[in-house]
Amino acid sequence: MDDDIVKEVLVESHENLDQLDRDFVALEADPTARGQIAGIFRTIHTIKGTSGFLGFSGLESLTHVAENLLSQLREGTRLLDADIVTALLQTVDAVREMLASIEATGTDGQRDDSALIARLARLQGKGDDHAAHKQASHRPAPAVPAPAPAPAAAHVASPAPMPKSKELAPPEVTATAVSDTSVRVDVGLLDRLMNLVGELVLARNQILQFGSTVKDGAFHGTSQRLNLLTTELQEGVMKTRMQPIGNVWSKFPRVVRDLAVTCGKQVRIEMEGEDTELDRTIIEAIKDPLTHAVRNSIDHGIERPEVRVAAGKPAQGRLFLRAFHEGGQVNIEISDDGGGIDPIKVRDRAVARGLVPADRAQRMSERELVSLVFLPGFSTAEKVTNVSGRGVGMDVVKTNIERIGGTVELTSRHGFGTSLRVKIPLTLAIIPALVVTTRSERYAIPQVNLLELVRIEPKAAARAVESIHGVPVFRLRGNLLPLVYLGAALELGGPGTAPDGSLCIVVLSADDRTFGLVVDGVHDTEEIVVKPLGKELKGLTAFAGATIMGDGKVALILDVLGIAQRANVVSSSKDRKREGADTDLAPGTEDKQALLLVRVGADMRMAIPLAMVARLEELPRRGVERAGRHQVVQYREQLLPLVDVATVVGASAAVQGDADAPLQVVVHARNGRRVGLVVEQIVDIVEDFVRIERPFAQRGIVGATVVEGRVTNLLDVEGVIDACDPSLSAA
Amino acid sequence: MKALVVDDSRAVRTILTRMLEAAGFEVAQAEHGRHALEVLARVGPPAIALLDWNMPEMNGYELLCAIRANGEYADTRVMMVTTENEMEQIGRALEAGADEYLMKPFDQEAMRDKLVLLGFEVPS
Repeated sequence: MDDDIVKEVLVESHENLDQLDRDFVALEADPTARGQIAGIFRTIHTIKGTSGFLGFSGLESLTHVAENLLSQLREGTRLLDADIVTALLQTVDAVREMLASIEATGTDGQRDDSALIARLARLQGKGDDHAAHKQASHRPAPAVPAPAPAPAAAHVASPAPMPKSKELAPPEVTATAVSDTSVRVDVGLLDRLMNLVGELVLARNQILQFGSTVKDGAFHGTSQRLNLLTTELQEGVMKTRMQPIGNVWSKFPRVVRDLAVTCGKQVRIEMEGEDTELDRTIIEAIKDPLTHAVRNSIDHGIERPEVRVAAGKPAQGRLFLRAFHEGGQVNIEISDDGGGIDPIKVRDRAVARGLVPADRAQRMSERELVSLVFLPGFSTAEKVTNVSGRGVGMDVVKTNIERIGGTVELTSRHGFGTSLRVKIPLTLAIIPALVVTTRSERYAIPQVNLLELVRIEPKAAARAVESIHGVPVFRLRGNLLPLVYLGAALELGGPGTAPDGSLCIVVLSADDRTFGLVVDGVHDTEEIVVKPLGKELKGLTAFAGATIMGDGKVALILDVLGIAQRANVVSSSKDRKREGADTDLAPGTEDKQALLLVRVGADMRMAIPLAMVARLEELPRRGVERAGRHQVVQYREQLLPLVDVATVVGASAAVQGDADAPLQVVVHARNGRRVGLVVEQIVDIVEDFVRIERPFAQRGIVGATVVEGRVTNLLDVEGVIDACDPSLSAA
Repeated sequence: MKALVVDDSRAVRTILTRMLEAAGFEVAQAEHGRHALEVLARVGPPAIALLDWNMPEMNGYELLCAIRANGEYADTRVMMVTTENEMEQIGRALEAGADEYLMKPFDQEAMRDKLVLLGFEVPS
């Protein structure tokens, strides 16, 4: 028999086996569904029929005995039970293994499936007499595995030369196949096509660019036509690479069933949007993370039946998968109605594992605690089951999704369930990007990282950046945005400003951080074709790849996260984003922290975690008024209560200086309320490890630490505010 | 000469099509009985139709009955493609007007024998 027919048989059998997995799970949920049984019977029958052409007796006899059992189920002479389903699922697994072995080695692997065959035969035999009798009258030898196919058959299929190489069959086109409107295509061919289309897009861009320099109507017409055709071709080829996410999900019902049985749980799986399509490279990339998330839901999320019933829920848990397109991205949600994540448990675990210092954990909001499960080395399972406890956790899910430009979000309501939302791009091959220039070189920034563009007029540019001891910060709507100069980050040398002296800031997000990338100029957004870098350049963290621009020159694609790491940008945006959440970067943390250094009173050097600083302000002394017991100042159409830090911590008063000098105020915002901390002088922003050397009993001071080689008191922001006026504190 | 292959397995359709093409037929395919009726309406009566027994939508026996009920297909020879499990059904099919049967798995030679038996001239 022809190689390609053998392949066809194998491919189809695999498809049928996947279908069986789904059918069995559905059948177990509703054992009376006769239509389902008929479908399963037909599938097994087809597998048996086609595998017969391969001429492997082991495969044939196993499917044969399974088919007999199913025929009893179909006729209703035997009722389905869990034993039968398990035996039939084992059959499916055994057949799958045999096919894999045939595919790889050309033999069915000299397996001994006699135990399984005997079991299937016994399951047929243990029915009532009537059924047995009926069966006997139907077929001469029902309980004994059928002999190998007749010699004639062996002749057909005999030493079918098996494909050794991975290469798939050439596209199978049956010239006269009136009914067959679809064609199977080698994925390698699709990849080559995509690559060629990428090249075509680049050539098109070059021609369009060239077109802008010539004045020839005919040429313009032709290039416009080329432009449209290329776009259509690109869309068409991208479509051929699209696969429904159902291809990944189709394995889940079986996974869920097996896992639920192992864990002693009852789980129903529901899906919506199985036909949502994704590029096949992305389908490949999300397979494992999604499977892991599903396993997690069953293992950690959904409770045992008795627990559920006690909590007033149905004994059977529900796992819901949903996929849909939104804003050029694919959204995938995996939610369960299980116990949710217990923030207290998470906190205790994280502290016990040393992932977060205890005092910091105490101050975390529920949502922050839940997000701790993404930390490497975290696992909430109380006992290590054979399901989880494989050394991979949610951190792997997160990393894998982020690697392909996606994001992961976990929401949980303790007692009511957990929902994981994954957002991923449709394709990785062609992405929208912003083109910028620095030192007359062009760079592409993937649009997914882009938050906004800020341009400061030349007049204002000089004052816009507060560059204190090499840590440039830009105030963006009241938030401190750390700046990275692209030219400096790439060590290009030379001064970097836009020709007109304006300041171009590309606000980017990377790994939950926000920072501003200062570039010389911002061009257009463009669809760029991503080309991987050669292996010599792979190690460069600043670049994610390269692309060819319209004029034929190469532009490097910036790896935003890599640049942020290179430039050592630490921003407080992560905490700012969650308005109303506890934003303390509490002392005692072993992480490097960004600190604002201030002078309080005459000579006390103090540090404030930058995360707790909303803004730095210079306010006119004349504006200070008294309102009741407080000092307040008009600030942004509100009254800002002021707290004099020196008074609270008992620092010696500063020498009374110029009465007209503005007040130096550190604005702290919490739960939508702002408090101004009056200090003598704002000294610096530094980044250092904070280790409390001597805890203080003194009011308003957490303790002393060493910052940049000098003893510095760490300000207890809440304590200071509290001491001044408890009604101001956010609690 | 036209032939129709009706089977819900793509692999079996391919195998049957190859063998019939080797025997000089021009082959149309259908996935199940109802689909076959649509294909027949389009391509007209074939010289031979090979029908699988067990198919969704409309099985081979029902299709056979539909074909035999339509005088347009009086000259079409019908061959049932079965497995040994369906042996007892072959009798029923022959009664309903099937001309021959072919048991899976089969090879080119078995196919050729059956075609010759039905009076087709098959190049060897």
